[in-house]
Amino acid sequence: MSAGSSSRFGSTARLIAVCPLLAMSDTVADALGIGVVVLIVLPLATAVLALLRSRLTSETALPASMLTIAALVACVELLLSAWFSELRTALTLFVPLIVSNLIAVQHLQARHESLGKALAGSLQIAAGIAVTLLPLGIARELVGRGSLLHDAGNLLGAHWAELSVFRVDMGFLLAMLPPGAFISFGLLLAARNWIIQRRS
Amino acid sequence: MGMPVKPALTLAIIAAVLTALVVLVASFTRDRIASNEQAWIRQRLDALVPPATHDNDLLADSIAVTAPDLLGSSQPTKIYRARRAGAPVAAVLRPIAPDGYRGPIELLVAIGQDGRLIGVQVIRHQETPGLGDAFESRDVHWLDRFRGRSLTDPPTQRWTVRRDGGDFDAFTGATITPRAIVKAVRNSLEYYQRNSQRIFEQPTQ
Repeated sequence: MSAGSSSRFGSTARLIAVCPLLAMSDTVADALGIGVVVLIVLPLATAVLALLRSRLTSETALPASMLTIAALVACVELLLSAWFSELRTALTLFVPLIVSNLIAVQHLQARHESLGKALAGSLQIAAGIAVTLLPLGIARELVGRGSLLHDAGNLLGAHWAELSVFRVDMGFLLAMLPPGAFISFGLLLAARNWIIQRRS
Repeated sequence: MGMPVKPALTLAIIAAVLTALVVLVASFTRDRIASNEQAWIRQRLDALVPPATHDNDLLADSIAVTAPDLLGSSQPTKIYRARRAGAPVAAVLRPIAPDGYRGPIELLVAIGQDGRLIGVQVIRHQETPGLGDAFESRDVHWLDRFRGRSLTDPPTQRWTVRRDGGDFDAFTGATITPRAIVKAVRNSLEYYQRNSQRIFEQPTQ
């Protein structure tokens, strides 16, 4: 596989993985929370599957990765309810939902890589997802609610981080609703392309 | 290709090991999650019925009742009882408003011995962020308007949102959510009126 095609592969995978996750970027705290969950689950799942690789055939690879990711996400969910119950309440539906995204990413990853390479690749993708969600969370919370980390006290136990930038009555509602995530994401991609184009 | 016994066996083993892992984590976190849940509900109960007004433990002194018509669920819902020196002070019902905009809304409705509302809290909901969740962000005092109300204040036909000819303002941008909450609160009052004796006499479950 050439370097070009694998990087294209990577960015496609990242795009697919990010789309359903976007809805969770309505506040900075939520975006952080889901970013951390992805950063934990994806590399762990990759490591487990890399260790199992020699025993898996092309038919069993997908069910095995589904089982692994679902089990890991279930564990993370339980641990979240035990130690970050408010965050868990805020993310309710969305934690189980990341199973499908991560399976997509996992499936798109090259299956012939060594453990180290696979782990590095998955870390890169997970970091990419987290890094994409964070500016979206910042932009959407700022525009939609006029605050940053307004629920950080409840969710992350960090009241000091709460920052109210301006007071809004209704806020810019569109930014808070799921379509706002896609619009913000589009703007973010446009900005990225613009920067890349200016450089070359 | 022969019978795919080996791949199936591999998958079965993987599934068994992973299930064991989830079971392990579940048993390891069970107590903590249960105590989180207790602390979570206790905090809300204390906010509704100040601990100084009663001398019993509301969480320990609770019953479960099933009243699909008035409490919104075919499953049993809890009623917490506040007493002082054994005498009833208040009952906190835990009804569900089944007709929220995006799903059921779980409430705590505290009713005093005199049949007047002490307070109402929303404990779980899936209403649209920015619109239907106004009671927890934009209009935090919206739920306060129930305080002191009873089944006869306002009269039955006005126990609804203003748009339907009632006495209660809806909040900007949402009608369905306030309508569902007002209806659930009214139904709770009705349940209390019909069952107030039984609520306090029934032994703890």
